[in-house]
Amino acid sequence: MPVIRLHYRYLEKMVGTDKETILANLPMIGSDIERVEDDHVDVEFFPNRPDLFSVEGVARAMRGFLGMETGLPRYSVSPSGIGFSVDPGLATIRPYLGSAVIRNVNLDEESILSLMGLQEALHWAVGRGRSKVAIGIHDLDAVTPPFRYIAAEKSRAFVPLDFDREMTLDQILDEHPKGKAYAHIVSDFPRYPLIIDARGRVLSFPPIINGELTRVTQETRNLLLDTTGTDERAVATAVNIICTALADTGATVQSVTIGERECPSLAPSERIVSSDDASALLGVSLDPPSLSSLLEKMRYGAEPAGTSHVRVLIPCYRADIMHDWDIFEDAAIAHGYGNFDAEMPRTFTVGAPHPVMAIYAVAREVMSGLGFQEVLPFTLTNEKVLATKMQRPLKDSVLRVMHPISEEQTMVRTDLLPLLLEMCQLNRHRELPQRLYAVGDVVGGTQTLPRAACVSTHAAADFSEAYAIADALCRELAVAVSVEESDDPAFIPGRRGALVSGGKNVGVFGEIHPAVLNAWELEHPVAAVEIDLTAVPGYPGQQGTP
Amino acid sequence: MDLSPNEKRLLVLLEKVKTADPSGLATEMGVSPESVIQYAYLLADRGLCRVEKEVRTTYALTEEGQRYASEGLPERQLLGSFNEKIPMQELTRHPLARIGIGQMKRKGWVVVRGGMVEKTGNDAPGEDELALRDLSRGGPGLAELRRRNLVTENLETQYRISVTPEGLECARRGLDMSEEAGTLTREQIVSGSWKGLKLRRYSLKAPPRKVYPGKIHPYQRVIEEMREILLCMGFTEIYGGIVQSAFWNFDALFQPQDHPAREMQDTFYLKETLPLPEGYERVRDMHLFGGNTSSTGWGGRWSREKAEQCVLRTHTTCLSIQHLATHPEPPVKAFCINRVYRREAIDPTHLPEFEQLEGIVMDRDVTFRHLLGFLKEFYHRMGFSGVRFRPGYFPYTEPSVEPEVYVPSLGWVEMGGAGIFRQEVTAPFGITHPVLAWGLGVSRIAMLRLGLSDLRLLYKSDIGWVRETPSWLHGLDKNAGVQQCR
Repeated sequence: MPVIRLHYRYLEKMVGTDKETILANLPMIGSDIERVEDDHVDVEFFPNRPDLFSVEGVARAMRGFLGMETGLPRYSVSPSGIGFSVDPGLATIRPYLGSAVIRNVNLDEESILSLMGLQEALHWAVGRGRSKVAIGIHDLDAVTPPFRYIAAEKSRAFVPLDFDREMTLDQILDEHPKGKAYAHIVSDFPRYPLIIDARGRVLSFPPIINGELTRVTQETRNLLLDTTGTDERAVATAVNIICTALADTGATVQSVTIGERECPSLAPSERIVSSDDASALLGVSLDPPSLSSLLEKMRYGAEPAGTSHVRVLIPCYRADIMHDWDIFEDAAIAHGYGNFDAEMPRTFTVGAPHPVMAIYAVAREVMSGLGFQEVLPFTLTNEKVLATKMQRPLKDSVLRVMHPISEEQTMVRTDLLPLLLEMCQLNRHRELPQRLYAVGDVVGGTQTLPRAACVSTHAAADFSEAYAIADALCRELAVAVSVEESDDPAFIPGRRGALVSGGKNVGVFGEIHPAVLNAWELEHPVAAVEIDLTAVPGYPGQQGTP
Repeated sequence: MDLSPNEKRLLVLLEKVKTADPSGLATEMGVSPESVIQYAYLLADRGLCRVEKEVRTTYALTEEGQRYASEGLPERQLLGSFNEKIPMQELTRHPLARIGIGQMKRKGWVVVRGGMVEKTGNDAPGEDELALRDLSRGGPGLAELRRRNLVTENLETQYRISVTPEGLECARRGLDMSEEAGTLTREQIVSGSWKGLKLRRYSLKAPPRKVYPGKIHPYQRVIEEMREILLCMGFTEIYGGIVQSAFWNFDALFQPQDHPAREMQDTFYLKETLPLPEGYERVRDMHLFGGNTSSTGWGGRWSREKAEQCVLRTHTTCLSIQHLATHPEPPVKAFCINRVYRREAIDPTHLPEFEQLEGIVMDRDVTFRHLLGFLKEFYHRMGFSGVRFRPGYFPYTEPSVEPEVYVPSLGWVEMGGAGIFRQEVTAPFGITHPVLAWGLGVSRIAMLRLGLSDLRLLYKSDIGWVRETPSWLHGLDKNAGVQQCR
């Protein structure tokens, strides 16, 4: 989640109150305070509220929440007369363009930092790492309108930001740090997106890098915003959020003509919501006037519409309002989460454990009664553990994860026993005898299956101990089995048995093969048992829930 | 003097050897060293011998400690990974950055200025590094290593038994070696011959032999506590597959297909696929345009292939929604505590697999206030008396809430998340009543409950720790040694 840095001086100026009040209320509008420092605070806002990713946006919300300035913030937009054309060749590459002119900006160090932070956070949260939306901000006075958004030849060259020489688009992808980081978004296309002015000079190579020509400094007075992407709604959201933040600093927003339309409009959208629905969801009685006043605190425009409805004007920067309940949540936030009277409902139900969990519980009880200690090994493991060290072939049904995080965890366990031997290895320094067991899920193909297994290691551990335990476990779990010779290579030939129930192999027991003991660096014999708990009568079948 | 035959035999031996450790004497007598200590304490009661008990402390490196002993402490390795200075942003990408940066700063090896980490040149090996090379140095270095869980302490008790002048005198006077009864036989009990027997006395000063009962893992016990609370509150338990289609894990919960949490770096994807359930189109439509609710949906595109691809479940909510899909009529109260998977590198507070608890309540007329009521009740029963709420965000709930509980040693601690399932989640399955839902990381509570600071200990169990942790959890200091983890 994006962490936004709020400098107190700028924040206090924008909100119009002291930092203590702001810090105390930040969590109550929906954020996690990460770090409180001497001159700033780092705050994590939720990804559904990109409008809060700047000091300006936070100030706007905070002024409403504190009752200093409520209701819809209105933004006026006049036409700039500037045109911006979109090359139809971009339709399959990066089709959507949003833009705006922002005049009379008064940028100081802090507002530039806030703007850059906002741009960065929007790239992450709305832009999905610039693939969905990328934003460029330019010094309008350095270039000549009208502007064109084109699909350009890869050999075209310009001076990218932070460089002092011309580079072709391909060179930028190969050599520029931003090029290397974002090349994957465009490199498959025959042509690349480019923004040029009336004289053919390059403003930007979206979504990669701006040109040095339009670099924004503290001296910049007029800005041109370009926002390109693959999702029309997200592109518009990014434009609205940046424009409203700059407008809040006193700048003037003007629209740009893109084809037939003027962009942006910064007009609110409308929704009629029911106060009865809000009351039913939140459990507090809200009539239209009281719901309206809560919503005004959250910077909506809201007025009662009849006896049970409220007409809500949603600010253009709120990208998260998809459903009436999104608005009701804001009413709850304005009401204050601490002011709800928590209450238990009268719902009457009778609880019950899941049958598989009930089987696990009995298996634990039996194993504990036999003197074994439970361990809870990982389910993610690797071929060495499951197969190599066990002298077993890897099962065909083993499930491999596609992008493992380490060599230790590349697949899901198909058996418990190997994990128990690994546990013995980890505990070689501990006193013998060691009697360990595990109950839990293994995976075969896409199926999750319940198992129980145990190991006993000490100087006298042998086949007869394993046989006795396997027998006791089967009796206690009411699994009717016959015993046959096993061919499991993890065990010593002649000291191993297979548990067979209903014609199906449901378990194995015996004395672990010395070569396996060597592989695990174990110095004493190990008696071991593993049983498939799907054989337990009453097992509910595949992944059923009661 | 009233000595047992074994005491007499020991005294005779001691007369010869004067002083010895229990194991040597045990071999001579053909009994266990524990028995020898028993007899020696009995003799000592009468001033015939002296038992010297020495508790020796030995130290051993943990697995992590061994690795650092050969590769260097993380901060030392990290320090060696760059020259004079390096941008903090770049350094944080180093795999050891999480531990190393703080330690380097604390030790004054580096200062951070304007986003740059600069070496101070003041990086001579500290006491801890010297101790890591040679544990016998002890001192503050060793204490520091113990604090970082790189060294474990073991107590070894050694006994030395010596005969006293009185003992020698007694032995020289000659001893009556006639028999005394140890373990009573069935015959002695039944026949009444025990009446004429001289029953041997045992000393309470000799410590008992330590036996370790079979037991349930301490972490499992914490889980069982939670299961019991939820079962008592009338919840039905859910259980289900580790492997889920992205459809159930994400799409059915209204997570857009381009949501960052769905990306490869956070989720374990599998090459397997699972077919979509009947009626999946209603979920698709919800994503595309909000189906038949007041929602706008996410817009954009929705890919069937993406929904069919399998993942290791990233939360148990995928089981809750499947339970609701098959039980759409109220009332439903269900819970699940099971393992979930996230693509996280292993460190003391993060693991790629861990347990999650999840509860859902669906009924006519349940509200946000009832959700808060359930949360309060559940946390109270878990032993947290202070519970408060603040706004939260989860893609599949609206409103969403982040509960916090009060822990005396830590203050207010964030404890899971909760909310009411969005209509976009419930409507495609014909669920018309509100569904209250909450979830939390169980290991977080287990760490508080068991006083652990390293999550890994729960899964890569040190049997010594399992053996020494009492099965009854009540008396534990619930908050000892816990570091706050996010």
